[in-house]
Amino acid sequence: MGKWMNKTIKPSVGTESEDHIPVEDLARLAEGGVDTAERRHLIGHLNRCQRCYQILQETLKDVSAETTLQPGSAPWWRTRMFYALAASILLVLLIGGPLAIKQWTHRPRVILASLDLDQGLKDILLENNALKWEKKERVSRLLTALQRRGLAVKDLNLVLLAKPYYQKKSLFGPEEVLHIRIDDKVAYLEVKEKD
Amino acid sequence: MMDPEKILSSSDLLAKIEAVCKRRFSAENDQNECYLYVIDSLKADNFKRLRAFRGKSKLNTFLYALINSLVIDFRRKQFGRRRIPAGVAKLGKWAEAVYRFVCWQKFSFDDAYDFLRIDGLYSGSYIEFIKEIESIKKAPCRENPAFQSIDETPESAFKNINPEGANPLEFLIQKIDRENRINAIKVIRETTVAFSEDDQLLVRLVYGSDLSVAAAARVIGLPAATAGKRLKNLLTKYREKLLAVGIREP
Repeated sequence: MGKWMNKTIKPSVGTESEDHIPVEDLARLAEGGVDTAERRHLIGHLNRCQRCYQILQETLKDVSAETTLQPGSAPWWRTRMFYALAASILLVLLIGGPLAIKQWTHRPRVILASLDLDQGLKDILLENNALKWEKKERVSRLLTALQRRGLAVKDLNLVLLAKPYYQKKSLFGPEEVLHIRIDDKVAYLEVKEKD
Repeated sequence: MMDPEKILSSSDLLAKIEAVCKRRFSAENDQNECYLYVIDSLKADNFKRLRAFRGKSKLNTFLYALINSLVIDFRRKQFGRRRIPAGVAKLGKWAEAVYRFVCWQKFSFDDAYDFLRIDGLYSGSYIEFIKEIESIKKAPCRENPAFQSIDETPESAFKNINPEGANPLEFLIQKIDRENRINAIKVIRETTVAFSEDDQLLVRLVYGSDLSVAAAARVIGLPAATAGKRLKNLLTKYREKLLAVGIREP
Protein backbone atom coordinates (compact mmCIF):
# COMPACT_ATOMS: atom_id res chain seq x y z
CA MET A 1 0.00 0.00 0.00
CA GLY A 2 1.10 3.57 -0.49
CA LYS A 3 2.72 5.06 2.58
CA TRP A 4 1.43 8.59 2.01
CA MET A 5 -2.22 7.83 1.53
CA ASN A 6 -2.16 5.17 4.22
CA LYS A 7 -0.85 7.67 6.72
CA THR A 8 -2.92 10.56 5.44
CA ILE A 9 -6.35 9.02 5.72
CA LYS A 10 -6.04 6.29 8.34
CA PRO A 11 -8.70 6.29 11.07
CA SER A 12 -8.23 8.95 13.69
CA VAL A 13 -8.07 6.95 16.93
CA GLY A 14 -5.19 4.63 17.83
CA THR A 15 -5.42 1.04 18.96
CA GLU A 16 -5.52 1.91 22.64
CA SER A 17 -9.28 2.25 22.80
CA GLU A 18 -11.03 -0.62 24.57
CA ASP A 19 -14.32 -0.40 22.71
CA HIS A 20 -14.03 -2.58 19.62
CA ILE A 21 -16.24 -4.39 17.12
CA PRO A 22 -16.60 -8.14 17.83
CA VAL A 23 -14.51 -10.22 15.45
CA GLU A 24 -17.47 -12.04 13.96
CA ASP A 25 -19.19 -8.74 13.16
CA LEU A 26 -16.07 -7.62 11.31
CA ALA A 27 -16.12 -10.90 9.41
CA ARG A 28 -19.79 -10.38 8.51
CA LEU A 29 -19.05 -6.86 7.37
CA ALA A 30 -16.16 -8.12 5.22
CA GLU A 31 -18.62 -10.50 3.58
CA GLY A 32 -21.24 -7.80 3.15
CA GLY A 33 -23.61 -9.65 5.47
CA VAL A 34 -24.98 -6.84 7.64
CA ASP A 35 -28.14 -4.78 7.35
CA THR A 36 -28.17 -1.06 6.66
CA ALA A 37 -28.58 0.19 10.23
CA GLU A 38 -25.88 -2.09 11.59
CA ARG A 39 -23.56 -1.25 8.71
CA ARG A 40 -23.95 2.46 9.43
CA HIS A 41 -23.00 1.88 13.06
CA LEU A 42 -20.01 -0.31 12.18
CA ILE A 43 -18.72 2.06 9.50
CA GLY A 44 -18.94 4.98 11.92
CA HIS A 45 -16.72 3.03 14.33
CA LEU A 46 -14.29 1.88 11.63
CA ASN A 47 -13.64 5.45 10.51
CA ARG A 48 -12.36 6.22 13.98
CA CYS A 49 -10.77 3.02 15.27
CA GLN A 50 -7.41 2.00 13.86
CA ARG A 51 -7.49 -1.43 15.43
CA CYS A 52 -10.85 -2.48 14.01
CA TYR A 53 -10.04 -0.90 10.67
CA GLN A 54 -6.79 -2.81 10.51
CA ILE A 55 -8.42 -6.14 11.32
CA LEU A 56 -10.98 -5.50 8.60
CA GLN A 57 -8.48 -4.50 5.93
CA GLU A 58 -6.14 -7.40 6.71
CA THR A 59 -9.04 -9.84 6.68
CA LEU A 60 -10.24 -8.54 3.34
CA LYS A 61 -6.73 -8.96 1.95
CA ASP A 62 -6.33 -12.47 3.37
CA VAL A 63 -9.68 -13.67 2.09
CA SER A 64 -9.03 -12.12 -1.30
CA ALA A 65 -5.52 -13.65 -1.51
CA GLU A 66 -6.86 -17.07 -0.55
CA THR A 67 -9.59 -16.88 -3.16
CA THR A 68 -7.06 -16.25 -5.89
CA LEU A 69 -4.99 -19.22 -4.72
CA GLN A 70 -7.85 -21.71 -4.57
CA PRO A 71 -7.82 -24.70 -6.93
CA GLY A 72 -10.66 -23.14 -8.88
CA SER A 73 -8.29 -20.42 -9.95
CA ALA A 74 -5.36 -22.69 -10.76
CA PRO A 75 -3.74 -22.28 -14.18
CA TRP A 76 -6.21 -23.41 -16.82
CA TRP A 77 -3.86 -26.00 -18.27
CA ARG A 78 -3.68 -27.81 -14.93
CA THR A 79 -7.38 -28.43 -14.62
CA ARG A 80 -9.27 -31.58 -15.47
CA MET A 81 -11.77 -29.42 -17.23
CA PHE A 82 -9.10 -28.45 -19.71
CA TYR A 83 -8.31 -32.04 -20.66
CA ALA A 84 -12.00 -32.88 -20.98
CA LEU A 85 -12.50 -29.81 -23.12
CA ALA A 86 -9.49 -30.65 -25.29
CA ALA A 87 -10.81 -34.17 -25.88
CA SER A 88 -14.24 -32.79 -26.76
CA ILE A 89 -12.79 -30.33 -29.23
CA LEU A 90 -10.75 -33.06 -30.87
CA LEU A 91 -13.84 -35.20 -31.28
CA VAL A 92 -15.84 -32.33 -32.69
CA LEU A 93 -13.09 -31.54 -35.18
CA LEU A 94 -12.81 -35.15 -36.30
CA ILE A 95 -16.52 -35.59 -36.72
CA GLY A 96 -17.36 -32.20 -38.13
CA GLY A 97 -14.10 -31.63 -40.05
CA PRO A 98 -15.58 -30.63 -43.41
CA LEU A 99 -18.04 -28.27 -41.76
CA ALA A 100 -15.29 -26.73 -39.70
CA ILE A 101 -13.14 -26.14 -42.79
CA LYS A 102 -16.05 -24.54 -44.58
CA GLN A 103 -16.74 -22.33 -41.62
CA TRP A 104 -13.07 -21.40 -41.42
CA THR A 105 -13.03 -20.15 -44.98
CA HIS A 106 -15.97 -17.86 -44.22
CA ARG A 107 -14.54 -16.18 -41.18
CA PRO A 108 -15.89 -12.73 -40.48
CA ARG A 109 -13.51 -9.85 -40.93
CA VAL A 110 -11.31 -8.75 -38.08
CA ILE A 111 -11.97 -5.32 -36.60
CA LEU A 112 -9.05 -3.36 -35.24
CA ALA A 113 -9.56 -0.09 -33.41
CA SER A 114 -8.00 2.24 -30.86
CA LEU A 115 -10.21 4.44 -28.71
CA ASP A 116 -9.36 7.12 -26.19
CA LEU A 117 -10.18 5.60 -22.83
CA ASP A 118 -12.99 7.83 -21.63
CA GLN A 119 -14.83 7.45 -18.34
CA GLY A 120 -17.62 5.38 -19.87
CA LEU A 121 -15.15 2.73 -21.04
CA LYS A 122 -13.21 2.96 -17.77
CA ASP A 123 -16.36 2.25 -15.77
CA ILE A 124 -16.89 -0.94 -17.73
CA LEU A 125 -13.25 -2.00 -17.35
CA LEU A 126 -13.18 -1.23 -13.62
CA GLU A 127 -16.18 -3.35 -12.71
CA ASN A 128 -13.91 -6.16 -11.63
CA ASN A 129 -10.50 -7.70 -12.32
CA ALA A 130 -11.68 -10.59 -14.49
CA LEU A 131 -9.63 -11.09 -17.62
CA LYS A 132 -12.34 -13.19 -19.22
CA TRP A 133 -15.70 -11.48 -19.18
CA GLU A 134 -18.43 -14.03 -18.89
CA LYS A 135 -21.32 -11.90 -17.68
CA LYS A 136 -23.55 -11.19 -20.63
CA GLU A 137 -24.62 -7.83 -19.16
CA ARG A 138 -21.04 -6.58 -19.05
CA VAL A 139 -20.23 -7.85 -22.55
CA SER A 140 -23.41 -6.24 -23.80
CA ARG A 141 -22.51 -2.93 -22.11
CA LEU A 142 -19.15 -2.97 -23.86
CA LEU A 143 -20.79 -3.78 -27.20
CA THR A 144 -23.15 -0.82 -26.84
CA ALA A 145 -20.28 1.45 -25.80
CA LEU A 146 -18.22 0.41 -28.83
CA GLN A 147 -21.15 0.89 -31.20
CA ARG A 148 -21.76 4.35 -29.76
CA ARG A 149 -18.16 5.19 -30.47
CA GLY A 150 -18.59 4.23 -34.10
CA LEU A 151 -17.31 0.67 -34.27
CA ALA A 152 -19.18 -1.46 -36.80
CA VAL A 153 -19.50 -4.45 -34.53
CA LYS A 154 -22.80 -6.32 -34.46
CA ASP A 155 -22.35 -8.91 -31.79
CA LEU A 156 -19.93 -10.06 -29.09
CA ASN A 157 -19.85 -13.40 -27.34
CA LEU A 158 -16.73 -13.04 -25.28
CA VAL A 159 -14.32 -10.37 -24.10
CA LEU A 160 -10.72 -11.09 -23.17
CA LEU A 161 -8.66 -8.47 -21.40
CA ALA A 162 -4.85 -8.62 -21.78
CA LYS A 163 -4.28 -7.62 -18.16
CA PRO A 164 -6.43 -6.30 -15.29
CA TYR A 165 -7.17 -2.64 -15.67
CA TYR A 166 -6.56 -0.25 -12.82
CA GLN A 167 -7.27 3.40 -13.00
CA LYS A 168 -4.05 5.31 -13.54
CA LYS A 169 -3.16 8.89 -12.94
CA SER A 170 -6.74 9.81 -13.54
CA LEU A 171 -6.78 12.73 -11.19
CA PHE A 172 -5.78 15.15 -13.88
CA GLY A 173 -7.18 13.56 -16.99
CA PRO A 174 -7.11 10.32 -18.99
CA GLU A 175 -4.02 9.56 -21.03
CA GLU A 176 -4.81 6.02 -22.05
CA VAL A 177 -5.93 4.26 -25.19
CA LEU A 178 -8.01 1.13 -25.48
CA HIS A 179 -6.72 -1.14 -28.25
CA ILE A 180 -9.41 -3.46 -29.54
CA ARG A 181 -9.28 -6.45 -31.83
CA ILE A 182 -12.55 -8.17 -32.61
CA ASP A 183 -12.34 -11.52 -34.29
CA ASP A 184 -15.27 -13.88 -34.66
CA LYS A 185 -17.35 -12.18 -31.96
CA VAL A 186 -14.47 -12.26 -29.51
CA ALA A 187 -13.08 -8.89 -28.40
CA TYR A 188 -9.46 -8.70 -27.28
CA LEU A 189 -8.80 -5.58 -25.21
CA GLU A 190 -5.60 -3.96 -24.09
CA VAL A 191 -5.16 -0.61 -22.40
CA LYS A 192 -1.98 1.30 -23.16
CA GLU A 193 -0.79 4.71 -22.19
CA LYS A 194 -0.76 7.37 -24.86
CA ASP A 195 2.69 8.14 -26.24
CA MET B 1 -21.60 -26.52 16.50
CA MET B 2 -17.99 -26.85 15.40
CA ASP B 3 -15.39 -28.63 17.47
CA PRO B 4 -12.75 -25.98 18.25
CA GLU B 5 -10.11 -28.59 19.01
CA LYS B 6 -10.54 -30.10 15.56
CA ILE B 7 -10.42 -26.70 13.93
CA LEU B 8 -7.27 -25.74 15.77
CA SER B 9 -5.52 -28.95 14.80
CA SER B 10 -6.51 -28.66 11.15
CA SER B 11 -3.72 -28.01 8.70
CA ASP B 12 -5.87 -25.33 7.09
CA LEU B 13 -5.99 -23.14 10.18
CA LEU B 14 -2.33 -23.69 10.98
CA ALA B 15 -1.44 -22.68 7.44
CA LYS B 16 -3.55 -19.54 7.80
CA ILE B 17 -1.80 -18.56 11.03
CA GLU B 18 1.61 -19.20 9.51
CA ALA B 19 0.78 -17.15 6.42
CA VAL B 20 -0.54 -14.17 8.39
CA CYS B 21 2.46 -14.16 10.77
CA LYS B 22 4.87 -14.38 7.85
CA ARG B 23 3.20 -11.49 6.15
CA ARG B 24 3.24 -9.30 9.23
CA PHE B 25 6.79 -9.95 10.44
CA SER B 26 10.00 -10.01 8.49
CA ALA B 27 12.24 -11.73 11.08
CA GLU B 28 11.86 -15.50 11.25
CA ASN B 29 12.06 -15.50 15.03
CA ASP B 30 9.14 -13.07 15.27
CA GLN B 31 7.16 -15.10 12.79
CA ASN B 32 7.60 -18.19 14.95
CA GLU B 33 6.73 -16.36 18.16
CA CYS B 34 3.67 -14.86 16.49
CA TYR B 35 2.58 -18.33 15.35
CA LEU B 36 2.90 -19.76 18.85
CA TYR B 37 1.19 -16.76 20.44
CA VAL B 38 -1.83 -17.07 18.16
CA ILE B 39 -2.16 -20.80 18.80
CA ASP B 40 -1.83 -20.35 22.57
CA SER B 41 -4.39 -17.56 22.49
CA LEU B 42 -6.83 -19.72 20.53
CA LYS B 43 -6.41 -22.52 23.06
CA ALA B 44 -6.78 -20.20 26.05
CA ASP B 45 -9.83 -20.47 28.33
CA ASN B 46 -10.97 -23.70 26.71
CA PHE B 47 -10.93 -22.26 23.18
CA LYS B 48 -13.07 -19.31 24.24
CA ARG B 49 -12.24 -17.26 21.15
CA LEU B 50 -13.10 -20.06 18.74
CA ARG B 51 -16.25 -20.91 20.69
CA ALA B 52 -17.38 -17.31 20.25
CA PHE B 53 -18.15 -18.14 16.61
CA ARG B 54 -21.93 -18.01 16.14
CA GLY B 55 -22.07 -19.03 12.51
CA LYS B 56 -23.24 -15.60 11.37
CA SER B 57 -20.29 -15.28 8.98
CA LYS B 58 -18.32 -17.86 7.05
CA LEU B 59 -15.92 -19.72 9.32
CA ASN B 60 -13.04 -18.90 6.99
CA THR B 61 -13.59 -15.15 7.22
CA PHE B 62 -14.11 -15.35 10.97
CA LEU B 63 -10.81 -17.22 11.40
CA TYR B 64 -8.89 -14.66 9.40
CA ALA B 65 -10.43 -11.80 11.38
CA LEU B 66 -9.63 -13.61 14.63
CA ILE B 67 -6.04 -14.35 13.64
CA ASN B 68 -5.50 -10.76 12.56
CA SER B 69 -6.84 -9.43 15.85
CA LEU B 70 -4.50 -11.75 17.77
CA VAL B 71 -1.53 -10.74 15.64
CA ILE B 72 -2.22 -7.10 16.53
CA ASP B 73 -2.30 -8.10 20.22
CA PHE B 74 0.95 -10.00 19.80
CA ARG B 75 2.63 -7.03 18.16
CA ARG B 76 1.63 -4.77 21.00
CA LYS B 77 2.65 -7.26 23.68
CA GLN B 78 5.92 -8.03 21.97
CA PHE B 79 7.03 -4.51 21.20
CA GLY B 80 4.68 -2.28 23.13
CA ARG B 81 6.94 -1.96 26.14
CA ARG B 82 9.71 -0.38 24.15
CA ARG B 83 10.53 3.05 25.38
CA ILE B 84 11.78 6.03 23.52
CA PRO B 85 15.30 6.75 24.79
CA ALA B 86 15.42 9.50 27.39
CA GLY B 87 17.86 11.49 25.27
CA VAL B 88 15.28 11.64 22.50
CA ALA B 89 12.27 12.20 24.76
CA LYS B 90 13.84 15.26 26.36
CA LEU B 91 13.95 16.97 22.94
CA GLY B 92 10.17 17.03 22.82
CA LYS B 93 7.17 15.51 21.05
CA TRP B 94 8.57 16.18 17.61
CA ALA B 95 11.73 14.19 18.40
CA GLU B 96 9.72 11.30 19.81
CA ALA B 97 7.70 11.28 16.62
CA VAL B 98 10.86 11.24 14.50
CA TYR B 99 12.17 8.33 16.55
CA ARG B 100 8.92 6.41 16.07
CA PHE B 101 8.81 7.08 12.35
CA VAL B 102 12.41 6.19 11.66
CA CYS B 103 13.28 3.53 14.24
CA TRP B 104 10.00 1.77 14.65
CA GLN B 105 8.23 2.34 11.40
CA LYS B 106 11.32 2.34 9.17
CA PHE B 107 10.55 5.56 7.34
CA SER B 108 13.37 7.79 6.20
CA PHE B 109 14.27 11.01 8.06
CA ASP B 110 13.01 12.93 5.02
CA ASP B 111 9.64 11.21 5.30
CA ALA B 112 9.62 11.93 9.03
CA TYR B 113 10.14 15.65 8.36
CA ASP B 114 7.16 15.69 6.01
CA PHE B 115 4.98 13.81 8.50
CA LEU B 116 5.93 16.23 11.29
CA ARG B 117 5.01 19.19 9.13
CA ILE B 118 1.72 17.59 8.17
CA ASP B 119 0.89 16.81 11.80
CA GLY B 120 1.93 20.30 12.90
CA LEU B 121 4.64 18.97 15.20
CA TYR B 122 7.48 20.89 13.62
CA SER B 123 7.54 24.28 11.99
CA GLY B 124 11.23 24.77 11.28
CA SER B 125 12.91 24.51 7.90
CA TYR B 126 14.34 21.31 6.51
CA ILE B 127 17.87 22.60 7.09
CA GLU B 128 17.07 23.24 10.76
CA PHE B 129 15.51 19.81 11.01
CA ILE B 130 18.61 18.11 9.62
CA LYS B 131 20.71 19.87 12.26
CA GLU B 132 18.33 19.05 15.09
CA ILE B 133 18.04 15.35 14.37
CA GLU B 134 21.74 14.74 14.85
CA SER B 135 21.20 13.75 18.48
CA ILE B 136 18.27 11.46 17.53
CA LYS B 137 20.52 9.66 15.08
CA LYS B 138 22.80 8.78 17.99
CA ALA B 139 20.00 7.05 19.89
CA PRO B 140 20.34 3.24 20.29
CA CYS B 141 17.86 2.29 17.62
CA ARG B 142 20.04 3.45 14.82
CA GLU B 143 22.79 1.09 15.94
CA ASN B 144 20.39 -1.83 16.14
CA PRO B 145 19.37 -3.02 12.69
CA ALA B 146 17.15 -5.72 14.18
CA PHE B 147 15.03 -3.13 15.91
CA GLN B 148 11.39 -3.95 15.28
CA SER B 149 8.46 -1.84 14.32
CA ILE B 150 5.64 -1.59 16.82
CA ASP B 151 3.50 0.30 14.39
CA GLU B 152 0.32 -1.50 13.50
CA THR B 153 1.25 -1.41 9.86
CA PRO B 154 4.44 -3.34 9.19
CA GLU B 155 7.05 -1.65 7.10
CA SER B 156 6.97 -4.54 4.65
CA ALA B 157 3.46 -3.52 3.72
CA PHE B 158 4.80 -0.37 2.13
CA LYS B 159 7.31 -2.01 -0.13
CA ASN B 160 5.01 -2.78 -3.03
CA ILE B 161 4.18 0.77 -3.91
CA ASN B 162 3.52 0.89 -7.59
CA PRO B 163 3.97 4.45 -8.77
CA GLU B 164 2.11 3.65 -11.96
CA GLY B 165 -0.56 1.78 -10.11
CA ALA B 166 -4.18 2.21 -9.26
CA ASN B 167 -3.85 4.93 -6.68
CA PRO B 168 -3.97 8.35 -8.32
CA LEU B 169 -3.76 10.23 -5.01
CA GLU B 170 -0.64 8.35 -3.89
CA PHE B 171 0.83 8.84 -7.33
CA LEU B 172 0.21 12.58 -7.17
CA ILE B 173 1.72 12.92 -3.69
CA GLN B 174 4.84 11.06 -4.79
CA LYS B 175 5.34 13.25 -7.82
CA ILE B 176 5.02 16.71 -6.33
CA ASP B 177 7.68 18.59 -4.38
CA ARG B 178 7.86 18.77 -0.58
CA GLU B 179 5.93 21.99 0.05
CA ASN B 180 3.17 21.00 -2.34
CA ARG B 181 3.10 17.52 -0.84
CA ILE B 182 2.54 18.86 2.66
CA ASN B 183 -0.24 21.10 1.40
CA ALA B 184 -1.74 18.34 -0.71
CA ILE B 185 -1.87 15.95 2.23
CA LYS B 186 -3.59 18.56 4.37
CA VAL B 187 -6.14 19.17 1.62
CA ILE B 188 -6.72 15.43 1.15
CA ARG B 189 -7.21 14.96 4.90
CA GLU B 190 -9.65 17.84 5.20
CA THR B 191 -11.54 16.74 2.10
CA THR B 192 -11.76 13.15 3.35
CA VAL B 193 -13.19 13.99 6.76
CA ALA B 194 -15.83 16.12 5.07
CA PHE B 195 -17.14 13.09 3.15
CA SER B 196 -20.00 10.94 4.41
CA GLU B 197 -19.03 8.00 6.66
CA ASP B 198 -19.56 5.54 3.78
CA ASP B 199 -17.42 7.57 1.40
CA GLN B 200 -14.67 8.00 3.99
CA LEU B 201 -14.43 4.26 4.46
CA LEU B 202 -14.59 3.63 0.72
CA VAL B 203 -11.67 5.99 0.14
CA ARG B 204 -9.72 4.55 3.08
CA LEU B 205 -10.10 1.00 1.85
CA VAL B 206 -9.36 1.69 -1.81
CA TYR B 207 -6.81 4.51 -1.66
CA GLY B 208 -5.46 4.08 1.89
CA SER B 209 -5.20 0.28 1.93
CA ASP B 210 -5.14 -0.53 -1.79
CA LEU B 211 -8.04 -2.94 -1.57
CA SER B 212 -10.06 -3.70 -4.66
CA VAL B 213 -13.14 -1.63 -5.40
CA ALA B 214 -15.18 -4.83 -5.32
CA ALA B 215 -14.03 -5.71 -1.77
CA ALA B 216 -14.61 -2.17 -0.51
CA ALA B 217 -18.01 -2.05 -2.21
CA ARG B 218 -19.05 -5.21 -0.38
CA VAL B 219 -18.22 -3.59 2.95
CA ILE B 220 -20.11 -0.42 2.09
CA GLY B 221 -23.03 -2.43 0.75
CA LEU B 222 -22.91 -1.21 -2.83
CA PRO B 223 -22.54 -2.91 -6.21
CA ALA B 224 -18.94 -2.65 -7.44
CA ALA B 225 -19.94 -0.53 -10.45
CA THR B 226 -21.76 1.97 -8.22
CA ALA B 227 -18.80 2.14 -5.84
CA GLY B 228 -16.51 2.74 -8.83
CA LYS B 229 -18.67 5.66 -9.97
CA ARG B 230 -18.77 7.05 -6.46
CA LEU B 231 -14.98 6.88 -6.25
CA LYS B 232 -14.75 8.72 -9.53
CA ASN B 233 -16.90 11.52 -8.09
CA LEU B 234 -14.82 11.61 -4.92
CA LEU B 235 -11.63 11.89 -6.97
CA THR B 236 -13.18 14.82 -8.79
CA LYS B 237 -13.80 16.49 -5.42
CA TYR B 238 -10.19 15.93 -4.39
CA ARG B 239 -9.05 17.31 -7.69
CA GLU B 240 -11.17 20.45 -7.33
CA LYS B 241 -9.88 21.08 -3.81
CA LEU B 242 -6.27 20.52 -4.88
CA LEU B 243 -6.59 22.77 -7.89
CA ALA B 244 -8.15 25.44 -5.69
CA VAL B 245 -4.88 25.66 -3.72
CA GLY B 246 -2.80 25.53 -6.87
CA ILE B 247 -1.74 21.88 -6.73
CA ARG B 248 -1.71 19.98 -9.99
CA GLU B 249 0.19 17.07 -11.45
CA PRO B 250 3.66 18.24 -12.53
